[in-house]
Amino acid sequence: MIPAAFEYFAPKSLDEALRLVDRHGGEAKLLAGGHSLLPLMKLRLAAPRYVIDLGRVRALRSIREEGGRLVVGALATHADIESSDLVRLKCPLLAETASEIGDVQVRNRGTIGGSLAHADPAADYPAAVLALDAEIVAASNSATRTIPAAEFFVDLLTTALRPGEILTEIRLPVAGRQAGAAYRKLHQPASGFALVGIAARLSLDSAGRIVSIGLGVTGVAVRAYRATAAEQALASKKPNPKLVADAAAKVAEGVEPLADIHASAAYRRASAAVYARRAIEAALLRAAGKKT
Amino acid sequence: MKLEGRYTLPAAPAAVWERLNDPAILAKSLPGVESLEPDGPDRYRARIQYRVGAISGNFVGTVELSEKKPPHSMRLKTSARGAPGFFNGDGRLALAAKGAETEVRYAGEIQVGGMLAALGQRMVESAARKSIEEFFQVLAASLKPSPG
Repeated sequence: MIPAAFEYFAPKSLDEALRLVDRHGGEAKLLAGGHSLLPLMKLRLAAPRYVIDLGRVRALRSIREEGGRLVVGALATHADIESSDLVRLKCPLLAETASEIGDVQVRNRGTIGGSLAHADPAADYPAAVLALDAEIVAASNSATRTIPAAEFFVDLLTTALRPGEILTEIRLPVAGRQAGAAYRKLHQPASGFALVGIAARLSLDSAGRIVSIGLGVTGVAVRAYRATAAEQALASKKPNPKLVADAAAKVAEGVEPLADIHASAAYRRASAAVYARRAIEAALLRAAGKKT
Repeated sequence: MKLEGRYTLPAAPAAVWERLNDPAILAKSLPGVESLEPDGPDRYRARIQYRVGAISGNFVGTVELSEKKPPHSMRLKTSARGAPGFFNGDGRLALAAKGAETEVRYAGEIQVGGMLAALGQRMVESAARKSIEEFFQVLAASLKPSPG
């Protein structure tokens, strides 16, 4: 369980980190909380020649409100996010999602940027950022660009980030009135990863119709995705239990579910419908101002 | 772990067959294969650098074609080992004309051991499916008429 030799860098600023990434490109890996990369390195499933530790780039850990959006730095830990009053007030779905990740040790070290950039198919945040239509900001030596969450998760462990880019922050819409959101997850008991994780975000008009909805799904397929068929089944409708159950049943429509020793494809598909129904029901209650 | 599926390639079976028997095309299509050197009839030594996201590893091994029935079917075996562990693949490819195109059906088994297996089959099956998909995509691209 000892990693292959590597050269270690600990830049103190984003500019310095970007120069290092630019210089070492494909042979370098960025280290944030280390809870995905270090196990891979110890198993020798990853053997980067250079490791660039972002831990000293303090500016990347900030959580703030800016221009009507909640901006979460890539190095904010899951514990920072679950305990932040600002996140709980402005974007409770993100705080709830963070609180469901792994265990205390993982939440104290793991970071949102690290989790998103690694794109584990069973990670929790992807469901939330998809449901919320978040934007992911990536900086390189020459430019900064914004990637919509819907375009970020490309394939198994693969994101839209390009070589030479560093994920710097996540921009999230602030929850409005008559809006509700919830994350419901089937835990794999040993690892804490999501066998199925569903993030639901919706808002109602004065007549109780669903005017806006986002459903993000993780754990089910090789990459996290938006359940558009299920969303469409609810959009502009006044929800009732049957409508919600029927919509939830479409959450894995057109998707080839993952299969492993913990859950078969059929079990994942069935569980996705159950957890989607629970997430939508909880979001509806919260939008109506009720406790869940 | 067993894998099966089908893929349609944009050429007649004879052309697909030719590509499948061309080591240069095979080396380009098999994901991660850096080089294939002849090592006896229908047998090649392979150097593989595999990469999916943060996971990567170097392997050396063999690729072997056998039980050939041109242009209908063949058996494709790969076996490789490296620091992260080993993998063995053994599959059959069956080609059938479908209009001007060819439908390739594949069925096979992949074994993974060592640290690679510590990924718990959690991602191994997905990675294997992704690799097969990439193999056919590159093969399909090589069959499209080149412009000009």
